[in-house]
Amino acid sequence: MDTLSQLGYGFGIALAPENLVFVFIGVLAGTIIGILPGLGPMSAIALMIPIAYGMDPTTAIIMLAGVYYGAIFGGSTSSILLNAPGVAGTVATSFDGYPMARKGQAGKALAIAAIASFIGGTVGVVLLMLIAPQLARLAVSFGPAEYFALMILGLTAVVSLAGNNLTKGLISAVAGVIIALVGIDSQTAVLRFTFDLPELYEGVEFLIVALGVFALAEVFTMLVRRSAGGAGGAVTSLRLSRRELGQMGPAAGRGSVLGFFTGVLPGAGATVASFLGYSAEKRLAKDQDTFGKGNIKGVAAPEAANNGAAVGSFVPLLTLGVPGSGTTAILLGALLVLGVQPGPMMLTERPEVFWGVVASMYVGNIVLLVLNLPLIPLFAKVLKTPKALLIPLVVVFCVVGVYGLSFSVFDLWLLLGFGVLGYLMRQNGFPAAPLILGLILGGLMEQSMRRALQISNGDWSIFLTKPISAALLALAVLSLAGPLIGMVRRHRSAASSKVTGGDNGGGGVEKQRR
Amino acid sequence: MFRAPRLITTAAAGASVVLLSTACGGSGGQNADGGWSPERPIELIAPAETGGGWDTLARTTSRVLEEEEMVDQNLQVENKPGGGGAIGWAHVANTPDDPHKLFVTSPPIILVPLSGNSDHTHEDFTPIAALATEYMAYVVPEDSPLESFEDLVEQVEEDPESISIAGGSGPGSMDHVALAGAVKAAGGDPKELNYVPHDGGGEALTSMVGGHVDAAVTGISEAAGMVESDDARMLATSAPEPTDAAPDTPTLQEEGIDFDFDIWRGVMGPGEMTEGQVAYYERLFADMVEQDSWKEETGNLGWEQSYMDSEEFGTFLDEAHAESGEILDEVGLGTEQG
Repeated sequence: MDTLSQLGYGFGIALAPENLVFVFIGVLAGTIIGILPGLGPMSAIALMIPIAYGMDPTTAIIMLAGVYYGAIFGGSTSSILLNAPGVAGTVATSFDGYPMARKGQAGKALAIAAIASFIGGTVGVVLLMLIAPQLARLAVSFGPAEYFALMILGLTAVVSLAGNNLTKGLISAVAGVIIALVGIDSQTAVLRFTFDLPELYEGVEFLIVALGVFALAEVFTMLVRRSAGGAGGAVTSLRLSRRELGQMGPAAGRGSVLGFFTGVLPGAGATVASFLGYSAEKRLAKDQDTFGKGNIKGVAAPEAANNGAAVGSFVPLLTLGVPGSGTTAILLGALLVLGVQPGPMMLTERPEVFWGVVASMYVGNIVLLVLNLPLIPLFAKVLKTPKALLIPLVVVFCVVGVYGLSFSVFDLWLLLGFGVLGYLMRQNGFPAAPLILGLILGGLMEQSMRRALQISNGDWSIFLTKPISAALLALAVLSLAGPLIGMVRRHRSAASSKVTGGDNGGGGVEKQRR
Repeated sequence: MFRAPRLITTAAAGASVVLLSTACGGSGGQNADGGWSPERPIELIAPAETGGGWDTLARTTSRVLEEEEMVDQNLQVENKPGGGGAIGWAHVANTPDDPHKLFVTSPPIILVPLSGNSDHTHEDFTPIAALATEYMAYVVPEDSPLESFEDLVEQVEEDPESISIAGGSGPGSMDHVALAGAVKAAGGDPKELNYVPHDGGGEALTSMVGGHVDAAVTGISEAAGMVESDDARMLATSAPEPTDAAPDTPTLQEEGIDFDFDIWRGVMGPGEMTEGQVAYYERLFADMVEQDSWKEETGNLGWEQSYMDSEEFGTFLDEAHAESGEILDEVGLGTEQG
């Protein structure tokens, strides 16, 4: 059978009335759960498993997959409207989505998110269908050394996330990496920075930091500012002009492909994908300075990337039987209980499950779009809530989200702590995005570096002798060199126009040291 | 006309006396046979997040018990993640005399305290029943030159740097102990092992199939798919006798290596339970593992039946504790505190 006829077979399954109903239920439930912070795709799927239990396995996985991409989309809604990312994969969406909402373009931002998600999902599904078996090879070709190089490349995004002050951006990123070190070290089982608190043994939950430094810090800022009125006046229509569509299209396209391939790699996932998508788009853009202030492309790229990655993460699950992320791990568990063993044999043994899922993803993405576009004006009304109501609402949102993760009061104190930290950082011009970037990539980077060195018995050349790793590292160096040289040049010309004052000052410090 | 209402009143009064007496019986914790029975909803704690092995065990257990209507009280699964289980254990240990809090358990209750990362050990709790088990597989890529577990141990002896072995959990945890114990029993030095910890058996296997490490140790069911597709080969399993999950693979015992290791799964309760309370739960779980729905669901998960009652389970735990402690000391990870 060739791909097309197999896909036709898949559509026959996906369009069965029963499956259609469940993909709809899945997407709807996922979107709603995803909007609530703390309840990401993982908890959304876990919550739906009792319902899936007892269903036909194909119908069940179709519904659970719907929950998955619904939840990722739902997360972007709270990211854009409240600066409170409900799902880790949508943190990058808030960088430009929230500024857009504050400018009164919430409807537009949500529409872009919906369309970009649709593009990301659809591109992902097409790629999944065409090259899934070959992609299994790509997934296994990434070992610890390759992951390390990929994380390094990801970390160079600091340059584009740091804003005006690279030094402060770097300080912020390093703080993020340090937070990632907290907990039991996975390579030696040694406790690090836990201060004898068992609550810290498993490290600091990413969402606590994100909600603290973004949402709570925003609340504190609003309180201090004491300005009257809603967040940004009227909510403009969600109609996009042709120019805007032209702007977001390519951005979403690039984000989709990048996101899909990142998602295929086990362990990388939607969060890393969305950050890579955002920073790649910013680097390519000619209007770089408007990023972070409400650039359409800054919403489209990470949204397309995280949905592309969600689809991509099905590749290792369906072709290798290996879950690529926490979410697909739960899906794997659900499938096993239903009596389906995903893995290399699935395509031949249970083709109806594989092709049913692929086809249902097409259907699900359309449902997602159809469901959400009409709801956008409703969601956007949140911003018209008077401040006196909105602020407590955001606080409740954060508290419920964090408490729901672990049912631990300790985490609420952590949330408050990170809120204060985020506020102080803002007051002193330290950007929060690099902190989040450092936190996400730092942990993965350290782990894969040490794993690689464990394999090579401490030989550092492993990072350069492996072709993929070497290529990624070279790319990282290049992407750093460009902006740095530019910065140095600008600095020089500024300095020389001030008659080498800076050099003398530097010399003075040297002398004092001696 | 007067009589009927009076009759009804009498009947109602009689009924309420009966109701009252049952209610009293309930609060006294006595059921018809004079044994104890739960008075409140039972909390079944999974000391981990949703989706992991403990969570699956807790939810499967509660689903079977509720569907077969085997408990009068509600049975709620509660996730208390953190500290590799330590947070959940501390939660149960805080109310040592509350028989309505149970938790699902497996080797980490032995291993985490042994590496010094928990304030509580298995001795602080009451073993209730072991329910199911799964065995480990020692796996290599299909094209590996290694043909048996002996070959692997030999290579470790000859040139320890030439062979790296992936596992799905941290050093001193299940996968590592299952590997180190087997190598030790085969006459090798477990300290020489280049064990590379991964996040989960899936990652360890991908790393191996991709050629980044030379071998892996994971649960049999995790490895089964890649073996079926000819990407990987099992050298041996850690089962005491050949298992249905991998009938063609020799056990370590069959290879002449005196070692077995199982990922047992069971239920424990707080420290101060009365005999009657233990007896109630023991009977409940003994009945549960006989249910068809239990057999089917655990079969799908690749788990094998291995029921043990409270006493057997307790003895088993003490033995496992002693054996694992020895292995951890051998690899230099034991921080035994008593």
